[in-house]
Amino acid sequence: MAGYGDVKLLRDDGLRLDGRKIDEMRPVTIEAGILPAADGSAMVTHGLNVAVAAVYGPMEAHPRKIQRQDRAVIDVRYNMAPFSTSDRIRPGFNRRSREISKVTAEALESVVLVERYPRSKIRVEIEILAAEAGTRCAGLTAAAVALADAGIPMRDLIVGVASGKVEDTVVLDLDKAEDNYGQADLPVGILPNTGEVAFLQMDGDLSPDEFNLAMEYNFKAAAEIHVIMVDALKRRYEGGEN
Amino acid sequence: MVELVPTLLRQELTRLAEDDIRLDGRGQWEGREVDLEVNCLYNAEGSAKVVMGKTIVYAGVKFELRTPWPDRPAQGSLMCSAELRPVAHRKYEPGPPSPESIELGRVVDRGIRESGCIDMESLCIVPGEKVWGVMIDIHVLSDGGNIFDACGLAAIAALRTAIVPAERFDVGEDYTLKVKGSPIMASFTRVGGRYVYDPSEEEELGGDERIHITLGDEGHLHSLQKGLRGVFTPAEFAEIFGVAHLRCAELRTLVANQEGN
Repeated sequence: MAGYGDVKLLRDDGLRLDGRKIDEMRPVTIEAGILPAADGSAMVTHGLNVAVAAVYGPMEAHPRKIQRQDRAVIDVRYNMAPFSTSDRIRPGFNRRSREISKVTAEALESVVLVERYPRSKIRVEIEILAAEAGTRCAGLTAAAVALADAGIPMRDLIVGVASGKVEDTVVLDLDKAEDNYGQADLPVGILPNTGEVAFLQMDGDLSPDEFNLAMEYNFKAAAEIHVIMVDALKRRYEGGEN
Repeated sequence: MVELVPTLLRQELTRLAEDDIRLDGRGQWEGREVDLEVNCLYNAEGSAKVVMGKTIVYAGVKFELRTPWPDRPAQGSLMCSAELRPVAHRKYEPGPPSPESIELGRVVDRGIRESGCIDMESLCIVPGEKVWGVMIDIHVLSDGGNIFDACGLAAIAALRTAIVPAERFDVGEDYTLKVKGSPIMASFTRVGGRYVYDPSEEEELGGDERIHITLGDEGHLHSLQKGLRGVFTPAEFAEIFGVAHLRCAELRTLVANQEGN
């Protein structure tokens, strides 16, 4: 079984296997308002990843014990479709999706003005239709656009991006091979206007310098994706439709 | 508690039905425009997306190697399931599969299975030891009414584009799954006292029982289902059966044209 270092991930010319530069991200497209039944929605394609987010609410929070007297709660469900990966995934929640849902909810609660909606709930449904490393970031980006599309007031958007390390080199935006055989992965959720970080996970091995470089790449990519997010939201409301 | 909006909606739909008018202006047997896209999901071995009005459905096909059922040692297996996840509508709650989603998956499954469009013996690799399991997963992203027909259409369209990933499983070369014919579903809901084809979300909310008819290429029945509270007469069924033949044939052409692209 191949592990760290067994698979060549950088070419002799210094480019990556898919031809990208070290600090180049995969192409990103975003469309807002794609689901007619939802109050807000978005589809994000990031490389071969496809993430869809739907927002319902604010609505009454049930059961009552989840209510907060001073603010809304954000109920996130991150789910991978059974056909989204190479081997079929059994439908239903697993430990991984529960954890991602939890930290994604906490990140979103950091930007949504939840104090505007005491005792209510905002439902955020993230569905991954195709996965190729980086689904939690694509899902987070989609959720942020869907919340804005739903007209829910926020301090800022959140952009999900990741950097990592392959063959002792820090690279921006790992693809599937790099994620499987690389040495580290650092997914973050960045507030593009304030420069704050609302989502942070990491696994693998990074030196302090490598961490700083990975974060630098992440901020650079976040600025690029932010432009695409804003463009998607503007397109949605151009021409006076809806 | 009386649900106020459905009560008012029901009255309005009944009033409109007297003049044979549908809320969105369609004729009684007129379907919404159907947009079908195939091979649209990167990790699925076959896939399709169906958009009908406000309804959006994806279907993906996956394969796995399994040991055959003891009583059918030389046959592969087929499973079709549908998920009505909370993404699709505010009325859907998280949790284990609801009776509604199980019914939906099983009705689509029966139509495909009983039409015989998949030759189960062609899915056998080593009799008694190794066969292909074909899994069709249907994902409803937006419920804008008549998800049954959308799911049935997405499932057969995805199946017809599926590539058996034999190389990845080390059992030979990849090949296109052989699918003979296209079972197609047509659904009717009683709205304001009479049946309509392809009910919208509002018509389902303010309507009564529904009937789902799946027809094969020869016009034979392969699956029937009556859902929700209500009764119908043989004469009513005869009428919608006739309509089903026409609508199914149109959708079968749509599936065939999509593959030609």
